[in-house]
Amino acid sequence: MADLGRQRARQGPLNAVPVAIFLLIGFAAPLLGVIIFSFMPERTFSLWQAPGLGNYATIFTGTSYLSLLWSLGLAAVTVCLLAVICYPIAYGLARVFGRWSTLLTLLFTIPLFVSENVRLYGWILFFIKNGVMLGTLKSLFGIEMESWLFTEGMIVLGMVYVYLPFMLFPMTLGVSMVPQETRDAAFDLGASKWQVFREVDLPLAMPGIMIGFLLSFVLAVGALVEAKVLGGQRVIPIVHDIELAFTYAQNWPLGSAMAVLLMVVVATFVLLVLRRFDLDTILGRR
Amino acid sequence: MNKFGQSRRNFMQQSTAMAAAFAAGGTLGIRSAFADRSKELNILCWEGYNSAQVLDPFRQQTGATVKAESLTNDPTMINRLRAGEINVWDLINVNNPWARKIMWPEKLIKPLDRAKMEPYFEKMLPAFKPPYQWSLDDSGKDLIGMAQRFGPYSFVVNTDKISRASAEDQGWDLWNDDANAGKYGVQESDDWNVFDLCCISGFDPFKEHTDEEVARYTATAKKVFKNAKVVGDLATMNQLLVSGDIDFYLTGGTYSCSPARADGALNIRAITPNKGPLAGGKGGISWIEITSVVNNPDVSPLAEQFLEYVQDPEMSHTVAFAEGTFNPVAQMGNPDCFKLFTAEELDIIQWDSLEEEMARSVEYDIVPDYDRLLDIMTAAKREVSGG
Repeated sequence: MADLGRQRARQGPLNAVPVAIFLLIGFAAPLLGVIIFSFMPERTFSLWQAPGLGNYATIFTGTSYLSLLWSLGLAAVTVCLLAVICYPIAYGLARVFGRWSTLLTLLFTIPLFVSENVRLYGWILFFIKNGVMLGTLKSLFGIEMESWLFTEGMIVLGMVYVYLPFMLFPMTLGVSMVPQETRDAAFDLGASKWQVFREVDLPLAMPGIMIGFLLSFVLAVGALVEAKVLGGQRVIPIVHDIELAFTYAQNWPLGSAMAVLLMVVVATFVLLVLRRFDLDTILGRR
Repeated sequence: MNKFGQSRRNFMQQSTAMAAAFAAGGTLGIRSAFADRSKELNILCWEGYNSAQVLDPFRQQTGATVKAESLTNDPTMINRLRAGEINVWDLINVNNPWARKIMWPEKLIKPLDRAKMEPYFEKMLPAFKPPYQWSLDDSGKDLIGMAQRFGPYSFVVNTDKISRASAEDQGWDLWNDDANAGKYGVQESDDWNVFDLCCISGFDPFKEHTDEEVARYTATAKKVFKNAKVVGDLATMNQLLVSGDIDFYLTGGTYSCSPARADGALNIRAITPNKGPLAGGKGGISWIEITSVVNNPDVSPLAEQFLEYVQDPEMSHTVAFAEGTFNPVAQMGNPDCFKLFTAEELDIIQWDSLEEEMARSVEYDIVPDYDRLLDIMTAAKREVSGG
């Protein structure tokens, strides 16, 4: 039996070799390439030059931090709005809408099959001068208004719209994990609706809520198209800076340094949150 | 940008060959180094050459598998070759100076059969008669590419808001007039935006700039982006001009406004200023696409054949009006080609003023201190964020 155990122990890593190689080539190697590039002199295309911290110095002495702050700020506002918007919908999907929930879930899911660009251009047609909204207001009520496009508010609207499913579905799962019996027991013991929400619903739904927060935040920090299309580039998020560095500027090392910095900031944030809210604990595994 | 040298090229060829193979594998199918390439052709181009109208007849004629990928900026396409995809592509289609001043010195493209290909220039519009400088290397010995689409590219106005004459007279000063804040957009096209900011600042982009000029450029960049209502792509710019959200935009020309004109909005018009700070007091800048054969060690024998195929009058007309944008072509110098254009099509590409606009324009060139100017512009866009 002991021999069999040892044999199995040996076979495990051996069987994992193909996947490990695949991950090394497909995931770790490009990431390592980006990290190494970030230490190369500016505007070089070679990975074999003397490394330095010049690109990071450029970021910190220049104004790239503004783009990073915009990305983090817009993502934070988006996540907060999504939390407020999605919780009631998630509650409804899990507890109120009954058989209509499937249909509603489908309605939230179907737009995901349409390209994000197309959906955002749809909003342009909706908000543009003489478009669906302003054109209707003008022709039906004679109200003439300036277009709301190309403002920070429109960028947030676009981000909330695009990332809504990524908050909603984990949150719905979280809410549906709360046992009705526990809620009933709390009510029977005299808890108010607010107390049940604060002390039963929210803590027990927290795994789903946290996953929704993390998923939508990480995606929103990397948002680019919303600021480009709906924001008219009134705001330059960090990913736009990274894109520029890799294309027109032909400055791969600077783009890599910005990408590494973004990864470090987001990873730090995620790790901090995960330390505060241990998913294993709240999922009840420990 | 000529600083890119041999060492980088060697490195890119060797160390990224694997990455290129993966990249190619994704879109083009991994092929053996010794594969028979007589029945395949890969084209890296601006939109239009990748359309079914252009490629399908060639596929039928040759029975070849033709794959084309379209991008909308030259540096990215050239970076793809530098990053090892020289082994993937057979033809590359970029704006004029990149072939002669960048790709040829870096050995990214190879010479064409001059005896066979140069006679095609004889049938082109007068400005393209051989020896045509952008199709030749610096020594004038090697033919390095073929010309086809071209056009003036300065800015676009809604003539219901600003008359053509007034826009041509005022020229780049439209952007120096504070009264125009919030009335214009900027079509994101970073190299062209740099050219235009130089013109608005009152100096020629295609030379080394003094510190005083750079300081002026910096102030102009901040002002232009702060006062812009929107920065976006050409579809957004045209849509906003038509809806009345903006009155004019830079950068733009026949290429960018032709989709709006084709849709009936003939009040959307490309403008070339009467005068400006460019060489010879010219006010506008024009582009000419040059299509070259990539220095692929295993290049497809169909590459030159395709270049000949698009010289045909009918195919030239198809290229001019392929999907996306619509543009004049050098082959319109051939009466057999010109007669295929309807009056409506000629109106879309502003044929009525094309010759004079090209005469008022200098040709797209390399900016010696482009990196510095681009960084300043990017910082300016960032600094006015949310403002």
